[in-house]
Amino acid sequence: MDITTRTQSDVTFVAVAGNLDSKTSSEAQQILDGIVRNGGRKIVIDFTALDYISSAGLRVLLGTAKRLRGGGGALHLFGLSGTVMEVFEISGFSSILAVFATEAEALKGL
Amino acid sequence: MQAGFRITIGVHRGEVARVNAAFAEFAAAHALPASIRRSMLVVLDELLHNTISYGFEGREGGEVSIEVELHPDRLSVTLTDDGKPFNPLGLPAPDTTLSVEQRPIGGLGIHLVRQMMDEVSYHRRTDHNVVTLAKLLPDGMTDGS
Repeated sequence: MDITTRTQSDVTFVAVAGNLDSKTSSEAQQILDGIVRNGGRKIVIDFTALDYISSAGLRVLLGTAKRLRGGGGALHLFGLSGTVMEVFEISGFSSILAVFATEAEALKGL
Repeated sequence: MQAGFRITIGVHRGEVARVNAAFAEFAAAHALPASIRRSMLVVLDELLHNTISYGFEGREGGEVSIEVELHPDRLSVTLTDDGKPFNPLGLPAPDTTLSVEQRPIGGLGIHLVRQMMDEVSYHRRTDHNVVTLAKLLPDGMTDGS
């Protein structure tokens, strides 16, 4: 798994490549926790290069979304395809998390 | 059976990566469709993580074996461990309609396993848990050579 982050005004962009599973999700958790700890309240995650995600990865996203919502922020996702989208649909996460088709749409309403 | 492999791992989390690597190599060698490769990797992550985290609590040692078989019409994987009796199919399905605020953390893994595989079965056999998974292959897939 590779994670790249950049910030643009008050939005933090996080691109995740590879897979988010029981092994890699703790690293993703640390990075997202670090963003929130440093005051990041608006996070956009790019899953275009994500091969697959398991429930361990979903747990990290859910935990981060709850923390951000509790602090008046938001987590927006985009670029889900194939197995990632399938996992989101089966788990119901496509309707409980804010999922968008493109980065431009993910930025709207943040 | 046309092709397959078997791998046995110890009970610690780092071992899942070995299974992933072996399976990814097998999938590439036999030109498995990407969607089937990915679904199986998700399901293996769920089941192996469960077994390694909870199946051997309170004891040392133990092992888990993973047997992969590629048939003309299906990919099947059998997971066998000598841990505590655990039937993943015995868990209730989670409520996937709850909101972010209401949703408990976790509880989804087995739901993904059931939904992403075409067949899942569990047997407790001579002090071992045996979980068998199958994913049907699309018509016209090559002979796996």
